[in-house]
Amino acid sequence: MEEKEHRKHQKKQSGPKADRKKKRKAPGAGEEEDGRRRNPKAFGVQSAVRMARTFHRAQDLQTKKHHAPQVDRSALEPPPVVIVVVGPPRVGKTTLIQCLIRNFTRQKLSDICGPVTIVSGKKRRLTFIECGNDINSMIDLAKVADLVLMLIDASFGFEMETFEFLNICQVHGFPRIMGVLTHLDFFKNNKQLRKTKKILKHRFWTEVYQGAKLFYLSGMVHSEYQKQEIRNLGRFISVMKFRPLVWQTAHPYVLADRMEDLTDPETLRINPMCDRKVCLYGYLRGTYLKNRSQVHIPGVGDFSLSDVSFLSDPCPLPDSLKKRALNERERLLYAPLSGVGGVVYDKDAVYIDLGGSHADREQEEARPTAELVQSLIGAQATIDVKMAASKVSLFTGSEPLRQGELQEEEGADEGPKEERVWDPETRRERRRAIFTEEEEGSEGEEGSEEESEEEEEDSEGEGEAGEESESEEEEGELEKQPALKRLRVEGGSEAVKEGGGIEVPAFADSEDELEKSEGEVEESEVEGESSEEEEEEEDSEGGGRKAMDSGNCSEEESEGSEVDSPLLEELGSKVKHPKHKEKALEEEEEEEPCFETAGELRWKEGLAQKASEAFLRQQRSTPNLRKLVYGTVAEESEEEESGGGELGGLFHVSRPESEKRRRADGLDCSHYTPDATRDWDQQEVLDSIRDCFVTGKWEDDKDATRLLQEDEELYGDFEDLETGELHQGDSGKQEDQAEEDESGEGEDEDGGKVKGNAEGEKQQRLDKKRRLKERFNTEYDEGDATFFDDLKGEMQRQAELNRAEFSAVDDETRVQYEGFRPGMYLRLEIQSLPCEFITNFDPNYPVILGGLGASEGNVGYLQMRLKKHRWHQRILKTRDPLILSLGWRRFQTLPLYHIEDHNGRNRLLKYTPQHMHCGATLWGPITPQGTGFLAVQSVSGTKAGFRIAATGVVLDLDKSVTVVKKLKLIGYPYKIYKNTAFIKDMFNSVLEVAKFEGAALRTVSGVRGQIKKALRAPPGAYRATFEDRLLMSDIVFLRSWFPVSVPQLYNPVTSLLLPLGEKESWTGMRTVGQLKHDLGVKVKPNKDSLYKPVVRKKRHFNPLHIPKELQRALPFKNKPKNAEKKGKVPRDLQRPAVIKEPHEKKIAALLAALGTVHNHKRKSAQARQREQHKDFLRQRQKQEMDKMKRQKEARKKMFRMIGQREKKQQKSSLKGAAQHD
Amino acid sequence: MASSCVSYEGCNFFRQRLVLSTLSGKPVKIRKIRSKDDNPGLRDFEASFIRLMDKITNGTRIEINETGTTLYFQPGLLYGGPVEHDCNLQRSIGYYLEALLALAPFMKNPLKAVLRGVTNDQKDPSVDTLKATAIPLMKRFGIDGEGLELKVLRRGMPPGGGGEVVFSCPVRRFIKPVQLTDPGKVKRIRGMASPGFGLSLIAETTNGTFLSAEMASNPPGQGTPILPEELGKNCAKLLLEEIYRGGCVDSINQSLALLYMTLGQQDVSKVLLGPLSPYTIEFLRHLRSFFQTMFKIETQKPEEDGKGGEKVLMTCVGVGYTNLSKTLK
Repeated sequence: MEEKEHRKHQKKQSGPKADRKKKRKAPGAGEEEDGRRRNPKAFGVQSAVRMARTFHRAQDLQTKKHHAPQVDRSALEPPPVVIVVVGPPRVGKTTLIQCLIRNFTRQKLSDICGPVTIVSGKKRRLTFIECGNDINSMIDLAKVADLVLMLIDASFGFEMETFEFLNICQVHGFPRIMGVLTHLDFFKNNKQLRKTKKILKHRFWTEVYQGAKLFYLSGMVHSEYQKQEIRNLGRFISVMKFRPLVWQTAHPYVLADRMEDLTDPETLRINPMCDRKVCLYGYLRGTYLKNRSQVHIPGVGDFSLSDVSFLSDPCPLPDSLKKRALNERERLLYAPLSGVGGVVYDKDAVYIDLGGSHADREQEEARPTAELVQSLIGAQATIDVKMAASKVSLFTGSEPLRQGELQEEEGADEGPKEERVWDPETRRERRRAIFTEEEEGSEGEEGSEEESEEEEEDSEGEGEAGEESESEEEEGELEKQPALKRLRVEGGSEAVKEGGGIEVPAFADSEDELEKSEGEVEESEVEGESSEEEEEEEDSEGGGRKAMDSGNCSEEESEGSEVDSPLLEELGSKVKHPKHKEKALEEEEEEEPCFETAGELRWKEGLAQKASEAFLRQQRSTPNLRKLVYGTVAEESEEEESGGGELGGLFHVSRPESEKRRRADGLDCSHYTPDATRDWDQQEVLDSIRDCFVTGKWEDDKDATRLLQEDEELYGDFEDLETGELHQGDSGKQEDQAEEDESGEGEDEDGGKVKGNAEGEKQQRLDKKRRLKERFNTEYDEGDATFFDDLKGEMQRQAELNRAEFSAVDDETRVQYEGFRPGMYLRLEIQSLPCEFITNFDPNYPVILGGLGASEGNVGYLQMRLKKHRWHQRILKTRDPLILSLGWRRFQTLPLYHIEDHNGRNRLLKYTPQHMHCGATLWGPITPQGTGFLAVQSVSGTKAGFRIAATGVVLDLDKSVTVVKKLKLIGYPYKIYKNTAFIKDMFNSVLEVAKFEGAALRTVSGVRGQIKKALRAPPGAYRATFEDRLLMSDIVFLRSWFPVSVPQLYNPVTSLLLPLGEKESWTGMRTVGQLKHDLGVKVKPNKDSLYKPVVRKKRHFNPLHIPKELQRALPFKNKPKNAEKKGKVPRDLQRPAVIKEPHEKKIAALLAALGTVHNHKRKSAQARQREQHKDFLRQRQKQEMDKMKRQKEARKKMFRMIGQREKKQQKSSLKGAAQHD
Repeated sequence: MASSCVSYEGCNFFRQRLVLSTLSGKPVKIRKIRSKDDNPGLRDFEASFIRLMDKITNGTRIEINETGTTLYFQPGLLYGGPVEHDCNLQRSIGYYLEALLALAPFMKNPLKAVLRGVTNDQKDPSVDTLKATAIPLMKRFGIDGEGLELKVLRRGMPPGGGGEVVFSCPVRRFIKPVQLTDPGKVKRIRGMASPGFGLSLIAETTNGTFLSAEMASNPPGQGTPILPEELGKNCAKLLLEEIYRGGCVDSINQSLALLYMTLGQQDVSKVLLGPLSPYTIEFLRHLRSFFQTMFKIETQKPEEDGKGGEKVLMTCVGVGYTNLSKTLK
């Protein structure tokens, strides 16, 4: 692409900005601008504490960024990224996958079953898989997902499944999650739409992480999502980075995208329910997978892989990276379970899906999945039948009967032979022939003849003749079985491979032989036919050739061949190779001591001979040593299989057998006793290890004199200041040394000092010095190498070594050393899968093969930390069945919950705590510590509420349990002496008491004591002492802890084996509650535990009886006789209680209210009246007082007048008596 | 559910089989143990070894038939902790210690084993040799710290025994991968002579490789006593032979080094060995049947004379073994 011409930046010529710039550029302005210099105080340290804090914070932030460095073990050619599309039904999952596939490959895939792999870019492939709404699928796929596309129906909002899936992801390592909102076109109101988007987004963020990507698919156009939006989504997917998840990086796993049933049709006919031999295909992910290792298939069970081989990639990345975009041919699509995939590569055959009318019909059918399964099964059967037929026709000429027998035999016993059965078309017969030859050892001619014929065909190569003839055969067979849809094409890439196989290195044939003896030839794909041919020839050539071989091979190999004489073998191995000679000697020491001397002599000659043969030996030794180590085992097992070494069916070779026995019962010792050949008294022998010591000669880069010399050259120049003498390093010496090294003489020489100090040389030296100094400086300044940096460097080196070590080795050998690499497309064969797996196969459910590490296939006790999920409604009960998802597995088990006391004791709990962590112990598969798990109560159907019951992590694995529950033993005293008491009824025998001697006791009242000694009678009674005297009514108890046993139930959830349509209805063991409910069994509870209405007993009081004497003494009114008399109100005078009607009540209430008002009025009136009255009284009193006063006055007046009058009268009488009278 | 059983015949390489079985969790069945012998079945020292295995594990199931010719061994989990064992006097402590060295890093609790019996004899590596060679080798695989120790408290010779050795080892979750390809040059030779019994010589190289040779005198009452001078001379010759073979690991510890390499993380490990001993060869086969590990075996001829014999460069990818016994806190 051409460079786009960008618009140049135009500098401002005028204005304030330009002025400022000009000013800055002006001379003498620099200092003025520099704030630090102008105002140093502003930049000075104000507070040391603050400074320290700032520094700490900076350091904290920096350290926080560090992750524990890990060796980068990611594959160079990574497997396709697994993208799981998940969401509730009818949210648009299938449509999204279809649109994405269409976006990447420009192909329309109308019907999608199982994983679909596509090439999305130059370096990336994607595998899409749709996750059903079933919790089993959700759990399985969360474990293998790299990216999750979580579809959410915006018109509805979040559904429970979404949250369940998020929680499953969280437990099993968090893969990348991307939300996709669909059904946005349902919103008519724009404001409502925006609001909903925002709410959903924030909720999504709280679940995943702040700022998690949420995509909006705004609407459908012609029942597809909008192109631009899909393209954007696709871009996001293709640049996304994925996090390595612990479980995934530590375990190999395969998401199977193709399945074949290889069971022998005959056994199938006899017993349709027999265990099936099944082949699964898929990309290996995670880490290296070893052949014959154990795998777990979630939903099926544990199996060991009987055979693994790698196939050529069915969906390879484009080769050249020059182009910017992929062309149409490179946009591959591979989805065998959906019935699409174009080219299918089997082990050594290529199938091309012809498509056509048949395929179209299949896709249009209403029930495509069932149809597909049907067709798959049908196709296999036909191939087997066909193959069997062709077999007979091919071998009728020579030995038809034997062949038939053989075929039956092979059908009956399992092993590598059966793989052949699956290989269809022409090549398979030949392979079979090789096998029979190996087995029987007598049919060499036939096989080789046939092979040579075929080879000719092959060598004619791309010639159409061969192809045609084969395709003709093919067609004939096709006519027989029209159900077969595939056509195998020879040539192409396969042919190229075969061609490559012809040019093998000289020692390769021996390697092949080894592989054959190991019974692993069959797996080899790259191995050419021609090399097999060579083997054939070798075999047919027979003994002589073998003997020659044994010369440079180990004795084991020749032992395996069983034809050679032992003597020859010994001799040969000794002459050729001292190492093997040693070995051989050890084996044969007692028998043939005479050879030792011979060997010794040989060795002395060998000193000279060795050099000449060195190259040859170097060439041969590698495969030989490998064969020595790894070859024998297979041979031995082979012998066992074939049932003893029989030669030509007549003679029995006994020697190797006996030797093996001797070896089998030999001395188990790690010492390596030396052979007595080397005489360490001899000088030349001693010379052979001269350089193993520090005193010997060193390599150039480590030689001390050499290094010293270099040092001298660098730092040799110095001037002795005292004498004024100028010393100079000698440069010529180094050159001399170099010359000597080249010539190969490694002797030290006295430094003949050459003092040619030319000017140029001095300059050179100075330059060198400067460069060294520079290097030192850079290293010193930059490399403040922390521990972290060192560690990272080390990891980096290891990663490079890992990549480089086997890169030169061809794949066939490489997989033996390191196992199958992630990214390879594998064919995995499993011997005995349950037949339900095949008969009920539904490609919509994922088939995952999860590799198991060492001893992860065992079961034991697991101790976990568990917490009831806060969204789960109910707490969990101890010993109730629970379905766990742990590691690859889903299984039902009976956990015990417990909590740790302060002293480390695990006390049993009946139920999980509501909001706290607790311990759980269960019987289950051994899984590494630190693995997360989740628990559900049932996987069948959908239950109301949140289904994930608990989550947690594995803490410990053990073979025994330490959970205890509290047990109180109760006894009663039957004899008490001071502080000693005899207690009975706590134990049943003397022995039981003896076990508890010294145990602490307590009474209900809190008196503490101790068990002392058992008593003879009654049995189980004992003497105990207490800190205080007991009462007979005391109850004595002993608090103890009783170990609880964990029920050993491990019940894998076999959901994949259920019939079609019922896969989501797996029910395992039911809880006791469920069982009782289902069977209608009523619980018979303890009567005492029942809640009853509280019935109070009627209390009866006796009449008070007063003695007569007392009665007599009582005062009259208190005499009971009188009290009785006035006591009771007679019944007729008692007023009956009046119960009012509501209406009357209302009236009464109203009347009462009125009454209250009236009363109040009355009261206030009264008060007022009383007040007035008081006033009135006061006034009257006042008037009264006044009146009294007046009367008093008046009386006073009157009495005075009277007195005066009387006085007057007296006076007058005295004078006036006379007068009166 | 239990892993498939591995089956063998004969009593040879008995320890290897039980050790690998314990590490891999695969049960092992050994048949025809000295079935043709006059005295068939397991010997006392093997029974003692089984007992030791039982002591350091939890949940091991052992079934032996009446004649003792068939053994079924279902391993438990390695437990460790303080263990005391009276070793049978037919074999020296080295016989038992070699197995403990292989198992000790993978225990639940750090192992502290007190072994009593014969410390030096003619059949097995002596405790001195193991102390001088195996312990530094373990350190190179990251099994170090103050916990790693092999202390010889008392010596005991056949037939009386009476020696006592304390072996303690820390626990590891992973084993580090190693690249030991340069043995270096011998810089010092040391030895341990126990008067009248034997001699053990150790050659140390500049790169921290320890090569050993040892020789023990005949036990009293068996054969003619050997002159000390002669014994010393022969032992020195043995050491020269060992140096001739060379490699970064001496011949008795080859299998230990290979085991740790196999059990390492999923990285490439390399180690340069001298010629493989028969014991090691069998061990490699066992490693393949228990862990499906194959080593890349390359012979290296020293580029010039004077550097001893041919060496073997062993390369493998670790299986990513994790210590399943260790408790997560």
